[in-house]
Amino acid sequence: MPDLTPAQRQIIDSPLDSRLFVCGPAGSGKTTAGVARLTHLLAQGVPGDSILMLTPQRSLQEPYVEVMHSPQTLAGGDVTPATLGGIARRMCDLFWPLAAEQAGFAQPDQPPIFLTLETAQYYMAHIVRPLLDSGYFESITIDRNRLYSQIIDNLNKSAMIGFPHTNISSRLDSAYFGDPAQRRVYADAQDCANRFRQYCLNHNLLDFSLQLEVFANVLWPQEIVRNYLTQTYRHLIYDNTEEDGPRSHDIVREWLPEFDSALLIYDEGGGYRRFLGADVNTAWALRELCDEQISLADSFVMSDSIANLSGGLTAAILPSQTSNVEGQTSNVDSLAIIQSHYYPELLDAVADEVQQLLASGIPASEIVVLAPYLSDALRFSLTHRLEAKQIPWRSHRPSRSLNDEPSSHALLTLAALAHPQWNIRPPKFDAAYMLMQSIQGLDLIRAQLLTEIVYRPRELTLAPFEDIKTDVQERITYFIGEQYTTLRNWIEEYRNSEILPLDHFFRKIFGEVLSQPGFGYHDNLDSVRVAASLVESVKKFRLALDLTGFGNLSGLGKEYIQLLEDGVIAASYVEAWNPQDDDAVLVAPAYSFLMMNRPVTIQFWLDPGSSGWFQRLAQPLTHPYVLSRDWRSDQVWGDADEVRTSKEGMARLVSGLLHRCRERVYLGLAELSETGFEQRGELLRAFQKVIQKTNQ
Amino acid sequence: MNTFSPRPSQQNILRYTGGRLGIAAVPGAGKTHILSALAAQIIHDNQLQDGQEVLIVTLVNSAVDNFEARIKRLFDNPLQALYKYRVRTLHGLAHDIVREKPSRVGLEERFSIIDEREAGFIRRESVNAWLASHSLDDYLDPALDHSKLDWVKRQQLPDLLDSLANAFIRSSKDRLLTPESLRAKLDSSFAPLPLAELGCSIYADYQRALAYRGAVDFDDLIRLALTLLESDEEFLDRLRFRYPFILEDEAQDSSLSQQRILSLLSSGRGDPAPTDGGNWIRVGDPNQAIFETFTTADPELLREFIRNNNHADMPESGRSQPSILASANHLIDWVMNSHPDPNVRTALSVPHIVPVPEGDPQQNPPDNPESIRFVSRKFTPEEELESVAKSVKSYLDSFAETPIGEQPTIAVLAPRNQRGVDVVTALRQKGIEPIELISSTSETRAAAGSLSHLLAYLADPQSARKLSKAYEVWRRDWRVNMSLRGQSPRQPPNDGEIASQSALAMTLQSELLATTSNVLRRLVYVEKFIAPSQADDWLSTIGESEPQQVIEELIAFRKIVQAWLKAVILPIDQLMLTLAQDVFTAASDLALAHKLALVLRGAADDHADWRLPELTSELAVIAKNERRFIGFSSDDSGFDPERHRGKVVVTTMHKAKGLEWDRVYMMSVNNYDFPSNMPSDRFISEKWFVRSGLNLEAEALAQLTALESTGEYDGYEEGAATMQSRLGYVKERLRLFYVGITRAKKDLIVTWNSGRQGDATPSLAMSELMGWWEGK
Repeated sequence: MPDLTPAQRQIIDSPLDSRLFVCGPAGSGKTTAGVARLTHLLAQGVPGDSILMLTPQRSLQEPYVEVMHSPQTLAGGDVTPATLGGIARRMCDLFWPLAAEQAGFAQPDQPPIFLTLETAQYYMAHIVRPLLDSGYFESITIDRNRLYSQIIDNLNKSAMIGFPHTNISSRLDSAYFGDPAQRRVYADAQDCANRFRQYCLNHNLLDFSLQLEVFANVLWPQEIVRNYLTQTYRHLIYDNTEEDGPRSHDIVREWLPEFDSALLIYDEGGGYRRFLGADVNTAWALRELCDEQISLADSFVMSDSIANLSGGLTAAILPSQTSNVEGQTSNVDSLAIIQSHYYPELLDAVADEVQQLLASGIPASEIVVLAPYLSDALRFSLTHRLEAKQIPWRSHRPSRSLNDEPSSHALLTLAALAHPQWNIRPPKFDAAYMLMQSIQGLDLIRAQLLTEIVYRPRELTLAPFEDIKTDVQERITYFIGEQYTTLRNWIEEYRNSEILPLDHFFRKIFGEVLSQPGFGYHDNLDSVRVAASLVESVKKFRLALDLTGFGNLSGLGKEYIQLLEDGVIAASYVEAWNPQDDDAVLVAPAYSFLMMNRPVTIQFWLDPGSSGWFQRLAQPLTHPYVLSRDWRSDQVWGDADEVRTSKEGMARLVSGLLHRCRERVYLGLAELSETGFEQRGELLRAFQKVIQKTNQ
Repeated sequence: MNTFSPRPSQQNILRYTGGRLGIAAVPGAGKTHILSALAAQIIHDNQLQDGQEVLIVTLVNSAVDNFEARIKRLFDNPLQALYKYRVRTLHGLAHDIVREKPSRVGLEERFSIIDEREAGFIRRESVNAWLASHSLDDYLDPALDHSKLDWVKRQQLPDLLDSLANAFIRSSKDRLLTPESLRAKLDSSFAPLPLAELGCSIYADYQRALAYRGAVDFDDLIRLALTLLESDEEFLDRLRFRYPFILEDEAQDSSLSQQRILSLLSSGRGDPAPTDGGNWIRVGDPNQAIFETFTTADPELLREFIRNNNHADMPESGRSQPSILASANHLIDWVMNSHPDPNVRTALSVPHIVPVPEGDPQQNPPDNPESIRFVSRKFTPEEELESVAKSVKSYLDSFAETPIGEQPTIAVLAPRNQRGVDVVTALRQKGIEPIELISSTSETRAAAGSLSHLLAYLADPQSARKLSKAYEVWRRDWRVNMSLRGQSPRQPPNDGEIASQSALAMTLQSELLATTSNVLRRLVYVEKFIAPSQADDWLSTIGESEPQQVIEELIAFRKIVQAWLKAVILPIDQLMLTLAQDVFTAASDLALAHKLALVLRGAADDHADWRLPELTSELAVIAKNERRFIGFSSDDSGFDPERHRGKVVVTTMHKAKGLEWDRVYMMSVNNYDFPSNMPSDRFISEKWFVRSGLNLEAEALAQLTALESTGEYDGYEEGAATMQSRLGYVKERLRLFYVGITRAKKDLIVTWNSGRQGDATPSLAMSELMGWWEGK
């Protein structure tokens, strides 16, 4: 552990009955102090199971979880790392009889069914699809899955922000001006949300929004629940409060006096989860309830030059708000620009630079390559270049659909082959791609050659390798033949045994074959992660649908595959970030990197000309600002609001990134973007100003 | 600063300081030059604040590149102009606008834009669905007998209805009418408007299909951009600040809604006619307003703008020899003063074209009245083909010994695509391989073709033949170099050494390419080359017999193929982009690849069972130009006639716009393709199987107009629109004739034929010019 400042020491050593509010920018040592406080509590003999470690999102718990799992940590019961949503769910489960009737569930004597994002989407699709045919949402252009997810998003926001879900459309509508036809879609969205909520109540289904509402409105006010929670947890550490929603803050506000000690941490530059309902204002208001407020200001991370760059960029983006930072742009040695005409050249140059940095002794885990959006083509092109230089890499895209992942495709093809009763007949190409990904070292040419000979889609059979003519066996190579035989035998054996739930099937084939040496997932971390997410998604789907009695075991697996292929289940995965695992260069969207909350030495920023740094996601059915708590119902959301919030958002993003950067930022600037067009977005213009100023 | 020596009229325009200015420019007047110079001048004079840009709007993507290059050349240091100007097509501009705030007009973050071809597919489906459940019998000629009726319904109606639907939908969008608002109007209409009903129903179905795909078409972009600007004043103000100067090229081709966008942006009230508003310069030639398919553009809009605002002419042109200019000018005079139908006299307008003054860098070719021929002889269509092909052949033969850089450029212009195809066939029979510029450009086809070769290999990776083809694609730049070699008119004459060195390098490249490609084709087991096992690398077996260069070439190629083979599991759009990034360098090719990737992704999403072979053939369809595929703009003609010296280019008169050749043949100038609204004229849009000779497309649009109007007396009257549309057609054809004539620099040969029925006559305009010419 680095040397701690007196302020940090004060936080860590504060008495066991103190309530502290710690604020400061990223990199000022807040979480370090929080983690040390946790160890301190344990060292002082506080039982681990009386400590609640709260964050708005699981990935933010990583530094704490690491310490909790480290061998030095004393025993004494496990600390509970949780999100408020997680607590809500557990309480709904635990106190179901109490919740069910009062919340209006139709079958209080039956157990609750908790929905994941995917299963919620699934039920939403059931409800909305017939309405589309009767003319709902006619005036908007949106694909169906995003339509469903925005309706769900509205419900979640109503729960996180704390307004009745029946007010969604009136709030959106009152802030809207312009084409009246557009207003109808808000009413449509409201109607769908209402129907969905009713359906959930009728069938004991609890999506995220209902879990939170039932907990906040029904359970939390009850003494028995409150007693249970307050007696269980005596100490609170709540990090990244600024990324949580107002409703969570309300609950913490009421809960806070009950704790023996509490440490609330607030990142001054944060608020990146705004589009999910996070509210920095209600988080900031929590400080009033604490005995003491400690502000950490100095960065442990940023070099002076990076700090200058951060100041200069912020001034360029928000000139009116930062008039006092004159002269901060004098030194921007920390900024390097990689320029090229065409995009592929840029990626070449980035890969070269990464290689040189590694050669100069910077560990791979200290380098990240960021872009506002990480298209698959970009990820592929870049990581391929890194691989060619034998540079380890990992990517992280929480919003990516499993359906677009080749490795989940391969697993689904395997599932279809192992379950002939489903009657899903993968075409030869899919079979070849599956083999290519499953068997290590198998190239496409041999995979196709092999598939053509052994695979009969009509009969869904895989012939044994021995049946192939010797000269062709030789072409395919005996090594591949052996692996193929192992895989084939496994499938044959499985077919003759009892059918497993799909997630068990994946686990089994993964554990017994695919993860073994010689197979494709053996040392392919990215694929392993996708596979794990797939298993998780299938499992949750199965658990949710099992209980409602939708179909049988075999049918479920088939239904899952078809829904995934239709895109109705937009199964996306969020994986915890584990920096211990691997020393690899991270390739990620900028916001995902922020949510990992860890500093690095070098950052590459690709596509500074993209509008993605500036504009918020266009979502015709929902609105992060209009639905927020401090939005007044008589206001109209105008262009000036849009520009102001976009600028603030970009400034926050840029400063957040730089506060997590120790030494240098490389700006990867291709004159023509990935799509062949010139880009000149606001971030690029801001850099332009900074550079001009420096040259003056 | 680079030299640009303006002509007198251009000097006048460069005195511009602000406000609205309308400029009528003649063919070859140098519109791009003057607009580039104006933009540079505004930037030089520091008229822009921080965050402001000169907005240059043009028609096609190729013009965008042209402008960019020109403006850059006007600065010693390109950084001086960095982010100071923006060149966009109108659709590109609309996309920029919508892209900033999609959700305000009901679009989701990742909305996609479908090209005309895909739009055509979708519309066709809607048309077929309509036909399956409705009948158009009320509009068919009752005298049709049963067998004919069946044939008409099967063979003719779908096409007719498709073009009607296209016109109706485009026109509705130009008027900002949605299917819902149309529906409401129809429901409250007193008079029955069956064609508007039909149009509305197909339009609604078409829009639903687009929404389902999360996509919009090109017209939606314009419509939504305009809706956005009209409904969001703060946003509009922000854009007005950003674009303090708007320079518009090819202004005669802008539709009403496109003009409203520019008018709003330039601080006007959305009405292009009044003189108020900011700095908006419109340059165009109303005489060149020609349209191949239905459009909502109208040259009268530009004329009105010119009349109502400060205006200037650009009459000087150095393109054609004086006798050709005289013919074009006479055509203007005759139309304006003496056309037998007074209603079409507005088809053309002055200024006349005048030759450039002495000392101008682009001097008119010397006068030569002999090289203009209006061939009076009556040909059958076949005879006309034969005669033109023969003439082309003997003309080409006469240059057999001339160095290629001094050979002439030649074009044969036909009024319609089909006639162009016939010309190509006729030329081939004479052993002449023409350059086709009939639909999408050869560049589009080449790029799509390249990618389709790569996909074809990936679908069948064991094939040595396809691997070899993929190699040729990978080295396509070498091939492009070779095909250009010797054809460039700009070979440095005094730099013989450099020229011969580069020629040598090219020869080496070409040999290496041929050898490597040959070696690959002979490969037996592809995997032993691409994915060799350690002991069994095919390369080591040929190391002895092939030169080191070839081995190195193969190693480099192998590396790239290995990456491709891994990429094959990616979704198709990503695969395409990955391939494109490896084989293309030209911005246009990359942009095109992106469009193709979107099209293929759309196809893959719509057809879940499609794999590489199906997707490859889809791409091959585009590559072979069976259907029109276009880039982001409404046209995609980055065509340079200079690159085809000594060859003959065959194209339609419409596609020839903006281009020029030393010798031009204009064919089929008869009263069918160029009618004059005389009693004996027949009209292509009035179908023989439709009752009362109605032009259904025109009638449908008239019903749409009636629906929109509130006036008591402007109801719909059947047949009036058919007559009115004749006038529009006659006028457009007169301008087309004018455009054809002004394509020629030195030689112009005009012929006509007697038509399929043998009763066609020369067009009145041609007869007039013939008579006038003989009189001289």
